[in-house]
Amino acid sequence: MISYFARAWIVARKDVAVERRSKETLNALVFFSLLLVFAFQFALGPDRERLAQATPGLLWLGFVLASLLGLGRTFLIERENDCWEALLLTPGDKSAIYVGKLAGNLLLMLAVGILLVALFTLFFNVNVFAGMPALALVMVLGTLGVASVGTLFAAMTANVRARELLFPVLLLPVLVPVLLATVKATEGALAGEPFGAYAHWLQLLAAADVIYLVAGLLTFDFILEG
Amino acid sequence: MTRVLGWLAAAGLVIGLVMAFVIAPREVTQGHVQRIMYVHVPTAWVAYLAFAVVFVASIVYLARRSATADRLAHASAEVGVVFTGVTIASGSIWGKPTWGTWWTWDARLTSVAILFIMYLGYLLLRGMIDERERGARYAAVLGIIAALDIPLVHFSVYWWRTLHQPPSLMKPGGASTMPAPIVAALLVNLAAFTLLYAYFVARRTRLLARQQQALA
Amino acid sequence: MPDNWSFVIAAYAIAAVALGGYWRRLVRLERDVERRNARPRRPR
Repeated sequence: MISYFARAWIVARKDVAVERRSKETLNALVFFSLLLVFAFQFALGPDRERLAQATPGLLWLGFVLASLLGLGRTFLIERENDCWEALLLTPGDKSAIYVGKLAGNLLLMLAVGILLVALFTLFFNVNVFAGMPALALVMVLGTLGVASVGTLFAAMTANVRARELLFPVLLLPVLVPVLLATVKATEGALAGEPFGAYAHWLQLLAAADVIYLVAGLLTFDFILEG
Repeated sequence: MTRVLGWLAAAGLVIGLVMAFVIAPREVTQGHVQRIMYVHVPTAWVAYLAFAVVFVASIVYLARRSATADRLAHASAEVGVVFTGVTIASGSIWGKPTWGTWWTWDARLTSVAILFIMYLGYLLLRGMIDERERGARYAAVLGIIAALDIPLVHFSVYWWRTLHQPPSLMKPGGASTMPAPIVAALLVNLAAFTLLYAYFVARRTRLLARQQQALA
Repeated sequence: MPDNWSFVIAAYAIAAVALGGYWRRLVRLERDVERRNARPRRPR
């Protein structure tokens, strides 16, 4: 009997290895992020002021859009390679699979988030260093929130008709609190406000992370039942 | 049983209408438009009640695997979406003369709208899965997540609209002093709409049972 | 402030249409199911 975390680790390592060799998802997401930056630029025009004001919202909107693409695929590899049945047959607590998948997704989405911040710094002239320690915290908490529900919903929609449609439709409304909190906290951090002025958003974000994580751990078993 | 519930609800709604239009006085600052409150607030309350029932029934389903709990969750979500729709529509109509626009991103209106979309997705998920048992399981998980999300949505939207440090309580502005007849009319309508909710859910649950019977 | 009776009536009318419509839908679906259950199954 392998311990819980060893099983989670096996799943995460397998996913990272697959991704490192194929680079399917990451390549697509890098390209998609670049496209997003151009799309935002064209949509808002060249006005520097307006872009600067919209930056926190655009950053997180871009992040959420990228995660809709990236996270939705979480369990599709298993289906394409006929491994879904093997997942179902895994002995013991299935939430270990959730933890493993979530760890892989966290790595992927953190990479995408950092890339997006870098692209925004480059193209939209955002001074990320002004809000740096706080911004990093927002990034980690926000990614955890998006990835924890996203991984759960990806498992849920993997075996459903019209899953490409259903995954974003289910995920987006649930993520509204995360989106609001990250945008507001990023706004505060970039404007150089004192930490106390937006600390309640970080609290909300942390609360959301805890709720989603616990709910995901407790309910994942029921999704992978049969 | 269901029939009695239906007649009770109908009677309650008639009394509620009389209370709203005859007994309750014309509100001083807003005028007669304020009478929309007697349909807006009760439907909003029923919507929250319905989604709470979905939450509890979902947990019961996952724990006990009772088909009744699953049908109750399904019925309650559907009725809840209908009532949420009425809440949004009446709020919007109330907003036009008082705020000057059909839609403002008012905190409570916005969170109700998010709930509407969330539970519409829930019903969509149910419709997309043909196997009854698996659909019930997935829907139960979604019902739990969505319900846990409600307080988060509420707080985030509220803080987002008020811009500043959050108040410690859920209700903004503290308790307002409403005249007694207005309070009475509101309470009667709350009771009547709750009865209507119970009637709809009872009827929908029975219908779901028969539909499943017909398919089996 | 004007009384805006039209808005009041509109709000109540929409509520009545939505809730009444849902009730009628339930009644209709129930009748459909009943009819299907009553009909004897044809052997294949």
